[in-house]
Amino acid sequence: MIQPPAITIPQTIRVAQPTEQRLANGVRLLALTNPGQNVVRLSFVFEAGTTTQHKPFVASSAQNLLSEGSSRHSAIEIAEALDYYGSYFEVSLDRDYSVITFCCLTRFFEESIGTFEEILLDPLYAPDEISIYASKRKQSLEIERRKTATKARERFAHALFGDGHPYGVSYHENLYDDLTHNDLKEFYRRRYTAENCFVVCSLDDDPKRLARIARFAEQIPSTGCYSPVEIPAPTPSLYDFEQVDQAVQSSIRVGKLLFGRQHPDFVGMQVVTYILGGYFGSRLIENLRERNGFTYSVFASMINMRHAGYMAIATDVGCEFSERAVEEIRAEVGRLSKELVSAEELETVRRIMFGEFMRILDGPMGLVDVTIEATQNGTDNHYIARSLDEIRTITPTRIRDLAERYLNPETLTTIIVGNLK
Amino acid sequence: MLPLWLLIQRTAIMITYESHTLSNGLRVVANRDSDSAMAAVNLLYAVGARNESSDCTGFAHLFEHLMFRGTSNVPDFDAPLQLACGENNAFTNNDYTDYYITLPKDNIETALWLESDRMRGLAISDEVLETEKRVVLEEYNQRYLNQPYGDMWKLLRGMCYTTHPYRWPTIGLTPDHIRDASMATVRRFYDRYYSPENCILSVGSGHDPEHIFALAEKWFGHIPATGFTRDMIPAEPTQTSARRLEVVRDVPATAIMIAFPMGDRLSRSYYLCDMLTDVLAGGTSARLYQRLVKGRRLMGATNAYITGDVDPGLLVVTANLLPETSVAEAEQALWEELRELANSAPSDYELTKIKNKFEAEMTYGEMNIMNKAMNLGYYSMLGDLPLINREAELFRSITREEIAAAAADIFRPERSSTLIYAKQ
Repeated sequence: MIQPPAITIPQTIRVAQPTEQRLANGVRLLALTNPGQNVVRLSFVFEAGTTTQHKPFVASSAQNLLSEGSSRHSAIEIAEALDYYGSYFEVSLDRDYSVITFCCLTRFFEESIGTFEEILLDPLYAPDEISIYASKRKQSLEIERRKTATKARERFAHALFGDGHPYGVSYHENLYDDLTHNDLKEFYRRRYTAENCFVVCSLDDDPKRLARIARFAEQIPSTGCYSPVEIPAPTPSLYDFEQVDQAVQSSIRVGKLLFGRQHPDFVGMQVVTYILGGYFGSRLIENLRERNGFTYSVFASMINMRHAGYMAIATDVGCEFSERAVEEIRAEVGRLSKELVSAEELETVRRIMFGEFMRILDGPMGLVDVTIEATQNGTDNHYIARSLDEIRTITPTRIRDLAERYLNPETLTTIIVGNLK
Repeated sequence: MLPLWLLIQRTAIMITYESHTLSNGLRVVANRDSDSAMAAVNLLYAVGARNESSDCTGFAHLFEHLMFRGTSNVPDFDAPLQLACGENNAFTNNDYTDYYITLPKDNIETALWLESDRMRGLAISDEVLETEKRVVLEEYNQRYLNQPYGDMWKLLRGMCYTTHPYRWPTIGLTPDHIRDASMATVRRFYDRYYSPENCILSVGSGHDPEHIFALAEKWFGHIPATGFTRDMIPAEPTQTSARRLEVVRDVPATAIMIAFPMGDRLSRSYYLCDMLTDVLAGGTSARLYQRLVKGRRLMGATNAYITGDVDPGLLVVTANLLPETSVAEAEQALWEELRELANSAPSDYELTKIKNKFEAEMTYGEMNIMNKAMNLGYYSMLGDLPLINREAELFRSITREEIAAAAADIFRPERSSTLIYAKQ
């Protein structure tokens, strides 16, 4: 038999630190430079997530409509100016943050940066564009909500955080019709400010380009005051269910409200969740997929939010397997606090997590994402090394203790959306 | 704005590679990327749904699943790879099956060992086959049956192709074919298609290509050639009359798909059709979105794309209708756009925009070593590896007149297949 090749376990991962400057308006500009890089990426992070909106869909609409017309150019002119140089603008939104990202080829930086400025600093929010956007989004959300997975995700957030909680609430798509110019303008004025913002960029090492980006970011208006978002205490419930007659699969979500990344047990719980369902070969995959064939996929992870965090298990199973799948999930969760994980299994998980970090950090774009996340969490890129140390040294006893403390199966929230008849 | 000629100048994006064929027929391609701490290892087997028979569809994909269920030497494919900090996955399409791994570059031999082992020694028990069938049936449910619009592609393929195996989707025509798959078929399929002659190993890493070739010889050199010959795939006859299918489903919005046959992957038609769809739907400034979604407000979403198959594929135009829009109105609006492309050539400006966009997308894609390794495998399968660096030039050589002529040739009503997926 052929001998398997020897394996080298990387002992450290090189993580570049950004250079940082504080601009005249108070904005932190973090730059990751790489000589010869032929792409420039610029990400503006604002505390302008859905928890900061006073009316449904305002936060997402305010960011999506940034590029739909300025005081100088129409929406189509801006679209042309981006597409012509192969540059792009994309947005992402969660409950806490709005991230506005611009990308262009380094050789078209000069041609693109003016358009980027216009998009971020001078949105018009014309009523006509708002109504086109609203009908488009209403349709896509309605389609999205036909999926059992979407229904389950929304019900899960609602059950974890409780009625009306800003981390758990979702709205009927018809409310898109109520959006007005003033809603968006007002939200933009209040949230897209220097006090709520930091910037991460990745580019080549030409100082002129970085200086140009600084001049851009310096124009973000300062209001002189920072108003933190108040998040009320959650009121979790344990079970929710929706019958969908035509479903062939049930979407199942199981989880538990815990804590965010700032908590000293977060990384430990990440390891616990990895063992449970963080990789192909995890206990949940072995049980639900490989042994029972209930599902195509099942996954567990720790989710970090600014003022909360939770453990989530997600799977779609054949409707006829729904109850058995939930039983097996609860049994696997329970096993974590009863048995010590074997040295072999723990070592596998350590190396997978290590490889995962290496993959994320391989290439300039992943490094931007890591830097954004670290900055949001009030830390810096050294947190990777600290996390890796903890992953390297965590013991089976601590893993069992964490599971015992935080993952009592009786306290899990369970959501099923599917056909149980 | 810069003058046009400045933008169209030749740029320096080239994927460097070296290639080598082992004596057993395995093709090896290596790309050196010294910036990366990782290695990307890609194995492409030139077998997909197009190689299936019509009574055993979905099998290539089912087989891809079985490739992870262990050999006589290595009972669990994933475990040793995970111990080497590696990650892997695979996909099957109509033309090929692709297995890909990323891991720290020092551990590259673990990937080569595991891949060479499963090229020869797959050991599947009846029990594993039965479980894997259930997993694939759940995948069928998850991706197709449990999604709104999940069966649109299946319906469209069935209409566009009468003869060529592209008429069924990769997942298969019916769950019954998966349920009925036998161990004898598994064995036959493996012996026939999983041979070194039908495979391409492509690697992106910081290693010297010569070192990669030596490692390929070490791990794959002993595997015997099987005398593999390619399947003869029946060609699709030329379509001569318009086809149409209307179905009613419980969906929130009526959707339309119009498909047209186009040339194969190596034909000039491929590049022309790619550009046609870019004029129609490449970015938010493109025609369909600006005119039909924003200008006339007929649709909530539109798109146009090519399937990119190796054999002659499809150019597809799609639309989701807003509640006020009738099917007739939407169809007419789409056809007006298609006819306009045939009647008057796109402007130089539009063409330059598309060419710039192509270059930018290529550069963005270049930043990932897995992308590069996959692309090298794909172009090698096409039988024209240097094409990977010639395509930018090919796009630049296309003229406005050529695009209009292609539009007139492609967008013929008698070659169209229209699927109306109406809401109740």
